[in-house]
Amino acid sequence: MVETKRGPASYHYVCTRMRVRKSLLIPKEEYLRMLNMSLPEITRSIGETGYKKEIDELATSFSGIDLVEVALSWNLAKEYQRILAITPGALRHFTENYLRSWDIQNVLTILRGKMQGVAAGRIKELMIPAGMKDRAFLDRLLAEETPERVVEALKGRRIHQTLEEGLPEAMETGSFANLENRLYVQFYDELVRDAMSGIKGGRIFLEYIRLEIDVKNIKNLFRLRASGIEEEIRDLMIPGGSFTPRELQVINTTRDRDEFIDLLKKRVHSPPLKSALEGLRKKRPIREIVVELTRIQLDQMERMSKRHPFSICPIFVYLEKKKHEVLNLRAITRGKESHLPAEQIQGYLVM
Amino acid sequence: MALRDIKPTRSELISIKRKIKLSERGYNILKMKRDGLILEFFKVLEQAKDSRGEMLNKYQKAAEMIALANTVEGKIGVKAAAFSVKETPEIELRNKNIMGVVVPEIKSSQVKKSLVNRGYGLLGTSSVIDEAAESFEDLVDTIIEAAEIETALKRLLDEIESTKRRVNALEFKVIPELTEAGAFIKMRLDEMEREELFRLKKIKARTSAKARTST
Repeated sequence: MVETKRGPASYHYVCTRMRVRKSLLIPKEEYLRMLNMSLPEITRSIGETGYKKEIDELATSFSGIDLVEVALSWNLAKEYQRILAITPGALRHFTENYLRSWDIQNVLTILRGKMQGVAAGRIKELMIPAGMKDRAFLDRLLAEETPERVVEALKGRRIHQTLEEGLPEAMETGSFANLENRLYVQFYDELVRDAMSGIKGGRIFLEYIRLEIDVKNIKNLFRLRASGIEEEIRDLMIPGGSFTPRELQVINTTRDRDEFIDLLKKRVHSPPLKSALEGLRKKRPIREIVVELTRIQLDQMERMSKRHPFSICPIFVYLEKKKHEVLNLRAITRGKESHLPAEQIQGYLVM
Repeated sequence: MALRDIKPTRSELISIKRKIKLSERGYNILKMKRDGLILEFFKVLEQAKDSRGEMLNKYQKAAEMIALANTVEGKIGVKAAAFSVKETPEIELRNKNIMGVVVPEIKSSQVKKSLVNRGYGLLGTSSVIDEAAESFEDLVDTIIEAAEIETALKRLLDEIESTKRRVNALEFKVIPELTEAGAFIKMRLDEMEREELFRLKKIKARTSAKARTST
């Protein structure tokens, strides 16, 4: 049951803590400084910015850039668990549900690894236990022999039914793509339903989730267009946003780029998103479009959190910003490792 | 073939003459084959150079894309996406004939896949994974094409080498030796004929001398 009895004081407390935590995140100037550093300097700098504990903990199992990447992921997972611990009532309920996307990612990695016959140790390296399923539970799933047993072990969890229905097809075709898409559609569907169920703060949560769904659908439309896919795409789109999957299907069949952008703009409500779409009329690499849309989404979420200072928004904005801090640090280290130019790496940072 | 082993007979001479004729005919045919193979080799060499260049470009692009994917998605994200791929590309091998040289004809399937058939879901991944997967699919396709061309090149080269050896053997060993043997037999036969003539003359002289003394 969702706890809704706690008073506004706890909301003020947790939202203020989120704001404080957000202010401690790495600022833009620091990223720009890191871009001009060598790899060992960046690693040392990361160690000095709150990731030291994880780096020390994992130093015996990993080394080099892999150590930095795993330490960043572990730190993210721990931070998310700490946030959950201090979040009260409906906020906790929404946060828990929102973090379930990490569970989907972890479960799918385990299923795929099991199907391919990958050793449990190697699958474990790819786990990021930032969701509701903790490390011990994931270890139990990893210990199972087959994908069927993994699904069986998830009995009673929200994703179990979808997994049980989709597993035979996945095992037959050797592809978990449809199952993965169904799980994420179910995830967003549940988020929207929770938001509309009358829980306090649901309206703001719904606004937030709709924006995320819209941005995700638009990004995926661009991806599908870049791959020249015109066939049935309704199953690949997430319902619950400004567009229905049917509308997105129609938009996807529009070959003319200007017309395509016009159709998207017609239904999008957020002005920054509209102006960003306007800027996409010229053909650009798909990865640049995705980064641009992510920046707009974060910016919009930030605005929402300012409009609703004591709501779920400050928490989600912090969760997203923390995630992007980890992604940015990882991008800088991996980019430097691959000898990518600083300007190119900067293009992928969401600051 | 040592000359002392040769029987200086007429039948042997006829046989050697036949062998010389056959060797010369074989030599001309093999020389034509060698020239034809060399022409064909240069044609395939051009294709091989192009495919090598293309392969290098595609490898560089694929390396760049995987570096980008590692940068954006991290090694964890890339490895997790790589778990999605279970199918291995299928390769169909056939033979074709270039001037008597059997070279492979390789046809691949299931290398290039559309975004929705790659095995990973659209909703749990990002576009850099698409680009990395696409560039590696392109690379594998080019490697298969290059394998066909370079195997043909290698087989043609082997065939040219063996044909060249045969032509040289005929030109510098078989035909000269046979010609020498033929000349030797001819010389021996002439000598034997002269000896026979001399012997007959000698007998005739002796017979005439005997007849003169008896009369």
